[in-house]
Amino acid sequence: MKLGLATALLSATLLAGTAYAAEKRWDGADDLPVNPLACAAGEAAAAPAAKPYDGGQPTNAPDKAGKPISLVDVPKLIGIGYFNATSKGMQDTAKELGNVTVKTDGPTEAKIDEQIKFIDNYITSGVDGVLFAANDPVAIAPVLRKALSKGIHVIGYDANSTPDAREWFVNQAEFNGIGKAMIDSLAKEVGEDKGFAIVTSTFTTPNQARWIAEMWAYAQKCHPKLKWLETVEAQEDNVLSFNQATTLINKYGDRLSGLFGMTSVATPASAEAVTKAKLCGKVAVVGLATPNAMKPYVNADCVKSVVLWNPVDLGYAATYVMRAAVDGKLKPGATSVEAGKLGKLSVVNGSEILLGPPFIFTKANVKDFDF
Amino acid sequence: MTAMSEIPLPRAAKRVAPWWLVRHETMLAAILLVALVVLGALNNRFLTVDNLLNQGRLMTEVGLIALPMTFIIITGGIDLSVGSTVGLCAILLGYSWKTFDFPLPLAIVFSLLVGAFAGFFNGLVITRLKVPPLIMTIATLALYRGLAEGISQAHSVRGYPDWFYFTGQSNLFGVPAQLWLLVIAIVIAGVALDRTTFGRTLYAIGNNETAARFSGLAVDRVKLIIYTLSGFMAGLSGYVLVSRVTTTRSDMGIGYELDVIAAVVLGGTSIFGGVGTIWGAVVGLVMIQLLKDGLALTGVKGDATIIVIGAVLILSTLVASSLQKRRDSGG
Amino acid sequence: MTATTFPRAEADPRRLLRAFASQEALLAIAVVGLAIVVGLDNPRFLATRNISDVLLGNAYVAVAAVGMSMVIVSGNIDISVGALIGVLATISGTLAVDGAPIFITWMAPLVVGVIIMALQGAVVAYLRIPAIVVTLGMLSILKGGLISVTGGKWITDLPENFHLADIELFGIVPMPVFLMIVATILAAFWMRYSAAGRAIYAVGGNAEAARLCGISQRRTIVMVFALHGFFAGIAALLFATELRVIQSTVPPNLELTIITASVVGGVSILGGVGTVVGSTLAAVLIAEIASALVFIDVSPYWIRAVQGVLILATVIADILRRRRMAGV
Repeated sequence: MKLGLATALLSATLLAGTAYAAEKRWDGADDLPVNPLACAAGEAAAAPAAKPYDGGQPTNAPDKAGKPISLVDVPKLIGIGYFNATSKGMQDTAKELGNVTVKTDGPTEAKIDEQIKFIDNYITSGVDGVLFAANDPVAIAPVLRKALSKGIHVIGYDANSTPDAREWFVNQAEFNGIGKAMIDSLAKEVGEDKGFAIVTSTFTTPNQARWIAEMWAYAQKCHPKLKWLETVEAQEDNVLSFNQATTLINKYGDRLSGLFGMTSVATPASAEAVTKAKLCGKVAVVGLATPNAMKPYVNADCVKSVVLWNPVDLGYAATYVMRAAVDGKLKPGATSVEAGKLGKLSVVNGSEILLGPPFIFTKANVKDFDF
Repeated sequence: MTAMSEIPLPRAAKRVAPWWLVRHETMLAAILLVALVVLGALNNRFLTVDNLLNQGRLMTEVGLIALPMTFIIITGGIDLSVGSTVGLCAILLGYSWKTFDFPLPLAIVFSLLVGAFAGFFNGLVITRLKVPPLIMTIATLALYRGLAEGISQAHSVRGYPDWFYFTGQSNLFGVPAQLWLLVIAIVIAGVALDRTTFGRTLYAIGNNETAARFSGLAVDRVKLIIYTLSGFMAGLSGYVLVSRVTTTRSDMGIGYELDVIAAVVLGGTSIFGGVGTIWGAVVGLVMIQLLKDGLALTGVKGDATIIVIGAVLILSTLVASSLQKRRDSGG
Repeated sequence: MTATTFPRAEADPRRLLRAFASQEALLAIAVVGLAIVVGLDNPRFLATRNISDVLLGNAYVAVAAVGMSMVIVSGNIDISVGALIGVLATISGTLAVDGAPIFITWMAPLVVGVIIMALQGAVVAYLRIPAIVVTLGMLSILKGGLISVTGGKWITDLPENFHLADIELFGIVPMPVFLMIVATILAAFWMRYSAAGRAIYAVGGNAEAARLCGISQRRTIVMVFALHGFFAGIAALLFATELRVIQSTVPPNLELTIITASVVGGVSILGGVGTVVGSTLAAVLIAEIASALVFIDVSPYWIRAVQGVLILATVIADILRRRRMAGV
């Protein structure tokens, strides 16, 4: 009887699964509106109408213009290369400015409620500003609003929150920019008429879901013949990513011409899977990754292009933005902000500061970076 | 420790020992007090009413589950599926409201029922098919999380009406609203365990299940009740969590099972069954939460904090068990 | 925990043997049956390449499950093993990058694994703290410690000859698969025929009786944990040498995967029952299920639910079979 029940459950889940497989967007994409860029290189689709400032403001923040401030940086999780790099950028700024101290602290796993507890504790302990990279844009909002209400400055980077819960967000690269760079790189490498699959962290990770949605939109618009085969989850786990990529290679054989790695873990693991399968040159790997992890594959010509912004610059810029907000130099309605060696960064989408277009690492320049 | 005649009486009553050695929980509470004073002296923002109440808000979700978990561990069982049940209930709360167009109060009730059913299913298989609790709940740990992911299709549900956030974010008579829920639940659980036949049956099962069966106790029914209760409380915890963080995701509550078990065993409940109190679980819960908070406020980073928590868990159990040994040989 | 659920049937050695045999048979049938069913749907699943990849990528889980099974048979449990594997892999990788001789980099995780686990075993055995408490605390300590020390910096630029997992014996058998099979067979024989191996069952099944037979319960538990550390060391080595980078973080949920392999493999959590052959087959089955679900196009959103159902079904089928054998 129990076995019957189990079988019934199993078939029910399978049925439901196939029913949902008919959904229109790629697995792992979110359902927010998409805004694909124009197919030609360079130019943006149509400059969206300038949005009014939609961020929040701290209430009764003490005037610390030019005075020393202490900041806390709460990334999604600590102990991974990417956020080590952003943290390093923040320390660089602190050294340059001399009147800023930044401490990075956060959960050891990317859990929303752990991250909330960390921010809550730092509000209590009394800091002048909070820098964050949100595990969930909505879940983190109440605690950030609490910070604002206590006169603490709040700046986001890497992963946004709902706009009114922070003052500014430093955007490393617009989602549609990443979508375009990824799809264009793949089409250039393998041709238009080919199949590809995606290895992502989890379907609930907001940034990855956004990128996949924008890749879907851009591919439909500009490379309609590219064939999406499947998206698989691989957490932030090296070996699992490798196993998943290998499974995809074995499953599709010749039909698979490209793999997208959506995280800095999935991309090198996918490249390793392709290398082990001796399919370098036959299956292209395109993805977001840090240069150090990708050097062996890029140097061996197994991977042609790696898409990423410079996370050190991201942390660097976020701290400059924080300083400017505290000093009152960056007010609602501003159109640009000065960010040290990065020069002037422009304000987009109301309250976001854009770091720049995504960077593409190739064999020629990969050795110039160390993070 | 196995004689049935001993069980109905509070454990401490018959011991001949100095009062301060009497109970593990009392010792733990003393340690906690010392830690509080030390941490309070190191940081003047720690021992404030505001901070302590806020910590109460943050520990409610884990606390609600720790109560039925104490019952279960006292019977010698365990429930590893609670974290996944939190996720499943949270998803069904949002999903039934958004997709089935349930009125929100009904959606809340529905999610609690689903939680209770999830626990009931665990209990049913454990009692009827005699599957060991650890194995059963490891399987449902995967299953319930999988259902949450499948049903939600990885989409989160947001945009609840304002009244919904009351439980998670507002104060009632100056105290976080969800803390009232926790306090009421603690009192009920404490009385049930200490003063009722139901409570004594739990100890009897944990001490010697066969003996309990032969003395005519409704072992299976009691087990079914506590696993169902565990699922229900996980559902309640899911509701409080959604209300606090304002969104629903399928990965909510991941890892709660270990946080809950840590609080319960730190509180002196024996994983082998037969020993434990609600009061101990509460002290364990408060201790972990306040240690994390106090260390953070004193400037200790997150990775170092979890090292300290791990060491405290081992050392305090060590201290308590060596005291227990001295007590047993001395009494 | 109380011991009333089903050990009655196992008291008779012949029945015991039969129960083992058919538990393993059940799993073996499941492994082969699943392969055939999925193979009919998508023949690529049965390609040598795929079968070898499934085994290769998950051999470390099976090896760790061998040690875990011993711990569980002795009536204990270890929750810290996932964190330990992360730590050991990092130690091995760091040594390799620092230019230590390859032999040392391969031995280090084994030695450190044995030491850490023997220490935990000693705390469990001599200080009488329940294993779940000790290992839960150790999980925290290892995890926090690893991040404190490495800061999560990835280990790259590993020397070419470090990659033990790349070695193929006789040109076809990958080293991880070879180690998985050898570890399983040796451990199975040792547990069944050596006095020390039998002692594990005795301690887990009935500690009091074991004591009366002159078996030192404490020493047996320390030995079991030390052996578990040894297997965790091998697992860490396979884990570390498989890819060109080592993440130097704790692999998420690895301990649960390993414990699941052991219990699905028929190791009773109440102690005293189970074999490592079962746990290895279960580890293979779990890996095979994960791969098969991708091959037969189950919507990825539902994969974990289906895995849960399959694990539940295996466990329930096993329990029902045991009850039938017990002659109910």
